[in-house]
Amino acid sequence: MNTVSRDEVRSMMGDVLAAQGKPLPADELTPLVDIGFRSLDFSELALRVEDETGDELNFDAPGLRRIETVGDVLDFLEQLQSA
Amino acid sequence: MTPTPSPTRAATPPGLDNRVVAGTFDGTWAQLGHGGDLPSVAAVLAGSQQAAAATVAAYVSTHDARTELLLASPGRVPVEDREQLRRDGFALVDDGVTRPPIAAREPDPGRVWLLTSGTTGRPKRVPHTLAGLTTVAGEQPPRRWLCPYTPGAYAWWQVVTLSLAHPGQDVVFAEPERDAEWPTLALDHDVDAVSGTPTFWRQALLRDPERMARLPLRQVTLGGEPVDQAVLDRLAALYPAARISWIYASSEAGAAIAVHDGLAGFPAVWLGREVPDRARLEVRDGELHVASPVGAAGFDGLRPTGDRAEIHGDRVHVTGRVGTDEINVGGSKVSAASVRAVLLAHPAVAWAQVRGRRAPVVGQLVSADVVLTRPAEIAELTAWSAARLPEHAVPRRLRVLDAIPLRESLKSDA
Repeated sequence: MNTVSRDEVRSMMGDVLAAQGKPLPADELTPLVDIGFRSLDFSELALRVEDETGDELNFDAPGLRRIETVGDVLDFLEQLQSA
Repeated sequence: MTPTPSPTRAATPPGLDNRVVAGTFDGTWAQLGHGGDLPSVAAVLAGSQQAAAATVAAYVSTHDARTELLLASPGRVPVEDREQLRRDGFALVDDGVTRPPIAAREPDPGRVWLLTSGTTGRPKRVPHTLAGLTTVAGEQPPRRWLCPYTPGAYAWWQVVTLSLAHPGQDVVFAEPERDAEWPTLALDHDVDAVSGTPTFWRQALLRDPERMARLPLRQVTLGGEPVDQAVLDRLAALYPAARISWIYASSEAGAAIAVHDGLAGFPAVWLGREVPDRARLEVRDGELHVASPVGAAGFDGLRPTGDRAEIHGDRVHVTGRVGTDEINVGGSKVSAASVRAVLLAHPAVAWAQVRGRRAPVVGQLVSADVVLTRPAEIAELTAWSAARLPEHAVPRRLRVLDAIPLRESLKSDA
């Protein structure tokens, strides 16, 4: 399975937000609620990663945690690719 | 040349002297059927339009109310279903080779069997008769039709029975898998009437607009899929002298609705109307229900069609299948047909297909494939959709394809 680097996921996240005219802040501690990154956006980002890797991500993997910040999203998708 | 008379034969079809062009054959139905023979209960797998047309010609030439016919392209009859046909009493005629029935039986007199498209499971046998498949009545202006439908499909029989029943209705058959060639074939044979699915029309208009513009069409017919205003308008602009018709038909319900006013959908005043020899139409819980006078045997009374219908103003639009149209995005329901309509309204979009894609958190996201008439950015299409749809209905994954995918049925849906 191909993997997408954390930087690449971050770039994709920026694309998802940019399509709505929103910027992606540099600070990974920025809460998602502050930048309007919602469940639809998160789902789209996951599909973008899947399209890039050519594999479905396993969202049933154990040990998933709360996702509240930009960094959480990047950590989560990085973790899923190795799940 | 006329067929040898048979004392027990049903009335000779009036159109036997109409011209038929199929493969290497160019003659009349009567000439095509001359010398043909069929088992009394026959399932014929026709590998070409010529073979299919010859089968029908033989059938009508010897039709004596004792024979029973199922005609289909090989691709519509799964191998495992062929033995079942023989067990059910059919002699299987495949590529000229006849295999006898495993359990021979008497024919059901005059029965013509159709197969459903099988998009929602294995193809089912649907009982009709030749007379029941002949739904066009009254005097018809002379036409030379192009028939691109797969042999044995309901729409294929519609063109064939029109030609058999009405003098002056010639048919030029086009092989479905050689879909790129039909405009040339039509020009070569002075075709002035063409029937096809909206996908079939969109594909041709996109691929070969110059040749399409040269077709001297007097009749343009669409059916088999939801018909949107954009494709009707495009065809009306290209063929100002043509009558533009869309037909709502299915193997079970038959050709239940015919609309000729150039507008998508049918008039809402038709709902609930009781008119002799016309279908009764109702919309219940968003689904079109039909009581059809031209339906299959046993298709009696008001029946659900499985097709979604939406009333907009004074029109009723048939938008897609009930079972596949709904996309659930985080608990919010999205109609794939509605999203598709928005995409098709964009001036750069020639074709669109919309579906739900499994996604985390929200369950499904709306995704779409499109084919463009001119270069356009995905962001442009997304912005177009966002301006016209609720947020959860905006396609989140948009893919641009190089060409319109076309299945044997001339449809592009799955």
